[in-house]
Amino acid sequence: MSDEENRPLGLYIHIPFCNKKCDYCDFVSYSMDRKAQQLYLEALFTEIDMMKSKFYDRVFDSIFIGGGTPSIVYEGFIASLARKIYSSFHFLEKTEFTIEVNPSSFTREKFLEYVQAGVNRISVGVQCIDEKLLREHGRIQSMENIEDTFKMLNSSQFPNINSDVMIGLPGQTVNSVMDTIDYLLKQNIKHISTYTLQIERHTMLYSKLRKGKISPMKDKTMVAIYNQINKTLEKAGFVRYEISNYAKPGFECKHNLKYWDDEISYLGLGVAAHSYIDGYRYYNTKRLDTYIDNLSEGKSPIYSREYVSDEERRTERIMLSLRTKKGLNLEKFKKDFNEDLLRSRSDIIKKMTDKKMIEVKDNFLRIKDDYFAVSNSIIVELI
Amino acid sequence: MNRLEKIRNFCIVAHIDHGKSTLADRLMEYTDTVTKRDLSEQMLDSMDIERERGITIKLTPACMKYKYNGEVYTLNLIDTPGHVDFSYEVSRSLVACEGAILVVDATQGVQAQTLANVYLALDANLEIIPVINKIDLPSADIVGTKKEIEDIIGIPCDEACEISAKTGLNIESVLEAVIKNVPSPKGDENAPLKALIFDSYYDSYKGAVSLVRIFDGIVKAGDEILFMQTNKSFTVTEVGIFTPNASAIDQLRAGDVGYIAASIKNVSDTKVGDTITLKNNPVEKALDGYKEATSVVFCGIFPLDGDKYQELQDALEKLKLNDASIHFTKETSLALGHGFRCGFLGLLHMEIITERLEREFNLEIITTAPSVEYKVYDNKGKVYDVTNPSEMPPMASISKMEEPIVNMEIITPKEYLGGIMDLCSDRRGVYHDMQYIDANRTKLIYTMPLNEIVYDFFDKIKSISKGYASMDYELAGYQDSQLVKLDILLNGEICDALSIIVHKDKAYQRGRALCERLKTVIPRHLFEIPIQAVIGGKVIARETISAMRKDVLAKCYGGDVTRKRKLLEKQKEGKKRMRRLGSVDLPSEAFVSILKLDD
Repeated sequence: MSDEENRPLGLYIHIPFCNKKCDYCDFVSYSMDRKAQQLYLEALFTEIDMMKSKFYDRVFDSIFIGGGTPSIVYEGFIASLARKIYSSFHFLEKTEFTIEVNPSSFTREKFLEYVQAGVNRISVGVQCIDEKLLREHGRIQSMENIEDTFKMLNSSQFPNINSDVMIGLPGQTVNSVMDTIDYLLKQNIKHISTYTLQIERHTMLYSKLRKGKISPMKDKTMVAIYNQINKTLEKAGFVRYEISNYAKPGFECKHNLKYWDDEISYLGLGVAAHSYIDGYRYYNTKRLDTYIDNLSEGKSPIYSREYVSDEERRTERIMLSLRTKKGLNLEKFKKDFNEDLLRSRSDIIKKMTDKKMIEVKDNFLRIKDDYFAVSNSIIVELI
Repeated sequence: MNRLEKIRNFCIVAHIDHGKSTLADRLMEYTDTVTKRDLSEQMLDSMDIERERGITIKLTPACMKYKYNGEVYTLNLIDTPGHVDFSYEVSRSLVACEGAILVVDATQGVQAQTLANVYLALDANLEIIPVINKIDLPSADIVGTKKEIEDIIGIPCDEACEISAKTGLNIESVLEAVIKNVPSPKGDENAPLKALIFDSYYDSYKGAVSLVRIFDGIVKAGDEILFMQTNKSFTVTEVGIFTPNASAIDQLRAGDVGYIAASIKNVSDTKVGDTITLKNNPVEKALDGYKEATSVVFCGIFPLDGDKYQELQDALEKLKLNDASIHFTKETSLALGHGFRCGFLGLLHMEIITERLEREFNLEIITTAPSVEYKVYDNKGKVYDVTNPSEMPPMASISKMEEPIVNMEIITPKEYLGGIMDLCSDRRGVYHDMQYIDANRTKLIYTMPLNEIVYDFFDKIKSISKGYASMDYELAGYQDSQLVKLDILLNGEICDALSIIVHKDKAYQRGRALCERLKTVIPRHLFEIPIQAVIGGKVIARETISAMRKDVLAKCYGGDVTRKRKLLEKQKEGKKRMRRLGSVDLPSEAFVSILKLDD
């Protein structure tokens, strides 16, 4: 454990506000006025104060402000939040600081504020440049917003831009996704997160699906899209370092990598935030009012806590590390779980190796690029 | 009047749903054998399956007292199981009686099963008392029903009782008719003991209890008795009658119906049809008509969870305590692991047992396709009884095969005649005769291979006729047949639990249907899976389950980890519930699918 405690932590802060919820989104978000945002910021401060003493001897090297829509909160919010966290926790000099922005609310003033606050990585929620599709799925930004955002970032030569791309929107085609990718490649971005639409319960999309108004994308189409993206991004110098993330070498997201390493802790602050600290998982309340009320009374916003058992830890190790290009460190696995996977799962590993689904090299087991699409089934064979 | 003249032993025969159990309840109520309140409790005690299907599998006999013309009569009602699977048990129960009440539903008339049971009763020389039931219903046709009974069965109906068992209307007339028309039993108390076992059950205190009709002699506690078929002897611990609960009495005498307990451990020692006599003073000749209960339908039963094998064995043993006609032996299948090959009296019997395993013992089981007993002759003239497709000798060594056939009677309203005849000929039925029962209904007589009716024949008859047709069959020996073993290969490996024996003309159709069905029930795997139907090495049908293209590519955030882990754990759990054959995971539906093929 001491090894784990020595590695720098990640810090996540959730901003639960949106102008309007997208039809596919099941993240916790509220549309609120300035007053609510102020109350929220105060609550965040209180939570930080509660936590800081627990982390006085720990070091962080990544900050991620996500949402919701972090760019929607009033000017000065992020700067003030940044000051607060700098004065409460210890950060390494090369700390990665990411903020998610939506082109519709990302202004020049906010951009300056973020940079001054230390933000060195911006994640632009583009999703798709097909305006018709964006409108159909209730996303508010326009193509003009997107263009303005990249113009602004590139004119100041902002060095580390990520963009999210959504795959699997009903009605989306291979061409429509590739148009988005081609457009992004022209914007000097260093990182692309692709994610496949999951139609979650309690979303507008789910109810549209239930009513038969839309039909989900066919697996065949989705696989074709991924193959095309792989090809295009590889040619453009990107590496798929995780199932849903591509980066130019050296621009892998330090914060995200922590999520796929069961030996690194991260602290999540804000409503609905999750933390993973020294083998425990913590979940903050999902309700904004409860979060604010609790903290104003000096009570913890933690809603539940669970210890990850050895058995669960083993599953998580396999599940998380096989998401990455690096793969699963078999030597370390043997040491930590007292199990030689090559022996305990020899039949299926041999079978999958023969079929070129996975490879075992230099004591690492990894899923081959072409088979990332069926990673769940491969993982289930091994857990 | 002597003792015997005041005894009547009788049973009730009826088609399913015509009101046999209700009438029995009423008779007990009107003779003050039970109170109305007890009756409803009794109903609640009976097996769920019986109540749901409206059939009675077993019902304890009842000894009733009824005062008529100043004399108290003893009326012994002996129940008969209401299904063809149990026709041997029915025949033994009938031998124990001198008369039978024939209940016919006035709204439905004579049905196939009514006929089958009435003929058995007539064969046993019983006095038949016709009773027209459900006369309270608006659609009752009393005159028509009486005419039917007279025309088809040939029993005069001018004095038939017209009743409603449900409302209790005219129940006394039935009791009086029994006393007036059923002959009193004959027998000699001083002759050596001769008692017929017509049923038996297991009691955890008394052991295996024989239900008997005493023809001659006397039996009492302390007597040394001999079972003539099994040649085993025991000391009687208790004799008694059913009132309707078992109650001990001093002795059972010629003409009586009651029970004998002798601390017997297994019901297989108290065989239905066997004769009980005294060891020291035996009767010279046992009663005629004894038969070993033979299994007609077979299937493999496996626990869904391989770890539950022992529990399954315990459950089967418990069921066998009460039902000697279940046979089971250990079976090992490559696909399903350890389980049991089980033999049953018929399809209903099989269904009852599998349902009881699930409901009463809370076991999740997989049953393989029902099979019958084939006779396989090899080149050297040796005969094998094959009930399990995986035990069939190689095709090359077989000189001929025989399959069991049945005589089938189907009674149907005219409008469904065409559909039913099509079904029968599709099932390799050989038409024999067609008889008009009345202006509306027709009786069809066919000879059919048993293996064509063990799947879904009864369901099909019911669905073609919207429930109006009824059927009955009896085994009629063996006939030569061109049979083949159809194997299913999954990813090149034989799945033994899916093999079936089928007529060669149907093999292609079945093979194709099976492959198609399996393609829909087996989930996609990481690998492509060929499904092949094969006869003797020759592929007759093929389908392919293509490899899975995609499961989930979703982004994974910190908060998702637990959720994702649980999802994968659940997926893993689901896999565990499947049967793995080589590299193929088979859900239990795959084994059910073989039973439900729409030809």
